[in-house]
Amino acid sequence: MYNVAEISEEACVANKGCRLCIMYCPEANCILMNDEKKVAYVVESRCKGCELCVVVCNAAKHSAVAMVSR
Amino acid sequence: MGKEKIQINEEFWDIMPDDYKDLVTHSTYGKTDRGWKDVGSSTELIAEHSLCAGCPESIAFRHIMASIPAPEDTVMVGSTGCTSLVFPMVAVHNIHSLFGNQNAVATGLKRALNVRFPDKTKDVIVLAGDGATVDIGLDMTLQSWFRGEKFTTICFDNELYANTGGQESGLMQKGFVAKMAPVGKKFEKVRLPEIARESGCAYVAVLTTSKPSLVEKVVRQAVLIAREIGPTYLQIYTPCILEIGKQSMEGLQEMRDAESAGERFKFREYVTPEAQAFIDEVAAKKKAEKLASTSN
Repeated sequence: MYNVAEISEEACVANKGCRLCIMYCPEANCILMNDEKKVAYVVESRCKGCELCVVVCNAAKHSAVAMVSR
Repeated sequence: MGKEKIQINEEFWDIMPDDYKDLVTHSTYGKTDRGWKDVGSSTELIAEHSLCAGCPESIAFRHIMASIPAPEDTVMVGSTGCTSLVFPMVAVHNIHSLFGNQNAVATGLKRALNVRFPDKTKDVIVLAGDGATVDIGLDMTLQSWFRGEKFTTICFDNELYANTGGQESGLMQKGFVAKMAPVGKKFEKVRLPEIARESGCAYVAVLTTSKPSLVEKVVRQAVLIAREIGPTYLQIYTPCILEIGKQSMEGLQEMRDAESAGERFKFREYVTPEAQAFIDEVAAKKKAEKLASTSN
């Protein structure tokens, strides 16, 4: 079992300019923007499961990121 | 080197790795206004590295790679430490030097680049840990500043020797007990930013990597001032979460705590009057360009 981040498309507010998870993810090219839907998404093969994105998203009260088992 | 010179020959396109093709098609080489705003919608100049999950050093690395003004004309010099695990995955020319030699190597490199490319601007950026900058390489670091060598020195300060198990370093705070320094440090943290100011650095800044916009501003200023005026020094707090006993998601809070009022990484910068005049000049030029583009 391995924990990775998952972003809820409904809760993500990237269309309002939020880039918190992208900014604070320690991995490069791991959380990217879906330019068509204007939401962030996680490249699971690059996620190390540190949960920093969950912390920053929850601190901003968006609560769009959760950890899931793979 | 121009961007055209490093493009892939079309006949070889189909056998190149996907990551490489991504860099060619989606990265920010050659863009003068690149910054952290491009992160997420363009390919970053750093790929899958082997640092720990949640390591603040890798956040700092991403912010710095996103902020370098001209990556295609930049050479980075690294030293032994966790940073040397990342340099093989960085899409900017880089040199790995022996432990502590990084500023001496950068000096020779900068001088050679000036001779080889007299009519081009080449940036040299030293990126090393606190052990290489302050303890083992202090001689080379200081001498390069005394000589006024025009390149940027960035120190990733994690306040101990992290990847050898947690030994005491010169930048460790007084009284801190590390895994391999059980007595606790008996001396004050070395005041390297102040030493840098007195040693001839034109621009010195102390910060954490909790605000990408600040990192971008500071890195750009440091590189631009190093081109024109003299040596610059940045000290960035990148706590080792393993060695200070934190969880992977607590690194950001640790940095925010360390930069609160009165703490040791409260943002401070020392700018010489000459460098300040240069910063103002660049800002005025940028403002005029912006005005001209909006009025058209």
